Amino acid sequence: MEPKMNAYKCTQCGQLHHPAYFICRQCGNRTFEAVPLEGEATLLTFTRVYNLPEGYMKPWIAFGIARFTNGLCVSGQIDSDYIAAGMKLTATVGVVKEGVGKDYFGFIFKQAD
Amino acid sequence: MRKVGIAGVGHTKFGRVDGSFLEMLSLAAVEALDDAGIKTAPGSVDQVFVATMGAGMINRISGVASALVDTLNLRPAMAETVENGPASGASAVKLAYMAVASGICDVVLVVGGEMMRVVSGWEATDFVATMLHPEAEYQYGLTLPAFAGMFTRLYMDKYGVTEKDLAIIAVKNHENAMHNPVAHIQLVPDLHAITEDEDAHVINPYVAEPLRMYDVCPVSDGAAALVLCAMDIADRFPGKPIRVAGIGQATDTHVVAEREVPTDLLAVRLAAERAYRMAGLKPEDIDVAELHDAFQILEVAISEEAGFFPRGEGHLAARRGDTRVGGKIPINTSGGLKAKGHPLGATGVSQVVELVRQLRGEGGGRQVQGARNGLAVNFGGFGNNVVATILSREEE
Repeated sequence: MEPKMNAYKCTQCGQLHHPAYFICRQCGNRTFEAVPLEGEATLLTFTRVYNLPEGYMKPWIAFGIARFTNGLCVSGQIDSDYIAAGMKLTATVGVVKEGVGKDYFGFIFKQAD
Repeated sequence: MRKVGIAGVGHTKFGRVDGSFLEMLSLAAVEALDDAGIKTAPGSVDQVFVATMGAGMINRISGVASALVDTLNLRPAMAETVENGPASGASAVKLAYMAVASGICDVVLVVGGEMMRVVSGWEATDFVATMLHPEAEYQYGLTLPAFAGMFTRLYMDKYGVTEKDLAIIAVKNHENAMHNPVAHIQLVPDLHAITEDEDAHVINPYVAEPLRMYDVCPVSDGAAALVLCAMDIADRFPGKPIRVAGIGQATDTHVVAEREVPTDLLAVRLAAERAYRMAGLKPEDIDVAELHDAFQILEVAISEEAGFFPRGEGHLAARRGDTRVGGKIPINTSGGLKAKGHPLGATGVSQVVELVRQLRGEGGGRQVQGARNGLAVNFGGFGNNVVATILSREEE
């Protein structure tokens, strides 16, 4: 199955969350419906990090905080030679960390066409 | 509630420590007990709090406070180990304050310590990053320097902070550390060499753009200790204790990306406001401040959130020299995390040790003349759990 990233929509008031929480931040309800979190986003800020933590066999990784068109803001990796605050991104899902016997999936943002 | 004071301080030299974790904590603890004139004997201390973030993870020691009590022959004192990330130290001070103010204890020993240089830089970066959100942040490879880099870029774009502004603050803190014998780094970088020289990008490479090496604190070992006591038993101690006048703490979203205004550090603002309210003081009453400059941008942002300067003007104040010793509000006279070092669990305790030294007039070449009130801000996570502490010198 192709990995997907989700937002979590409160079944009472419709408020969107990412990541998943136990209690709705708007109304206090405790049940959510998973809805796909994908598509276009705008880059708010970014960095290229050269001292990566244990487990990354790369010289550097670019990270950013991006805002989806539905208003949700998330952190993710960026795969693009050109990076500037305010640029339009497309959210893809890929392996963000290779674990022992398990890969971890998350947002990898690319420059929008 | 009873009034609470600080009767003794202790501090190891930050840097690379040989010997065991418990020995390091014991050195700071014994210095603080000696400073307070307290005999290390059963019954002399009611409670011990030890602040550490990584002892269990990187040093493979748990139950540290229980072990320290026995090592120091302070049985049957109560004992707890306190973990609040890099703000563990100030959290332990807060709990000690509560223990004394409530009347449960008369004398409490607080020791903060971290021994981080036993692991490689990438392991240290990794264990610190475990306090980020497990799925939304940590598993991406995001780290504290990564968030500080992204925060710095937002601040630069919004307020015009430059890389040179950050370097000016770093150099100021290194200069202060030259007067602090327990500081880790005892050298002052040349401002031109780390900013404008043609080799600046080699001497001072990027760590997490736009943050460079000299904008980031070193990895340090070290411990700091305090003896807190009830002011109503102050006559038992050799000197008049420095009063803990205000404590405030606040939390913010765990996930950094969720913050409504990404350049705000709401937990800093709330923690400082609560501490001021409790102390009955205003930002302009503070004479000296220790602010959590793990990254130099945080000294700027915290100085604004703590009310010393209007939003977006902290870097202008640093350019003017307002934050130097002799300036309007000297910040990080100890050298700060930047130059004194940042052994996580020790830091919040170390900040309070520096304020006590300043309010006692023991600051030597970094002394702020006539200092009466001091503020410390200890920053946990990327600002999701912050503790502010205000100390005041009471007149004889």
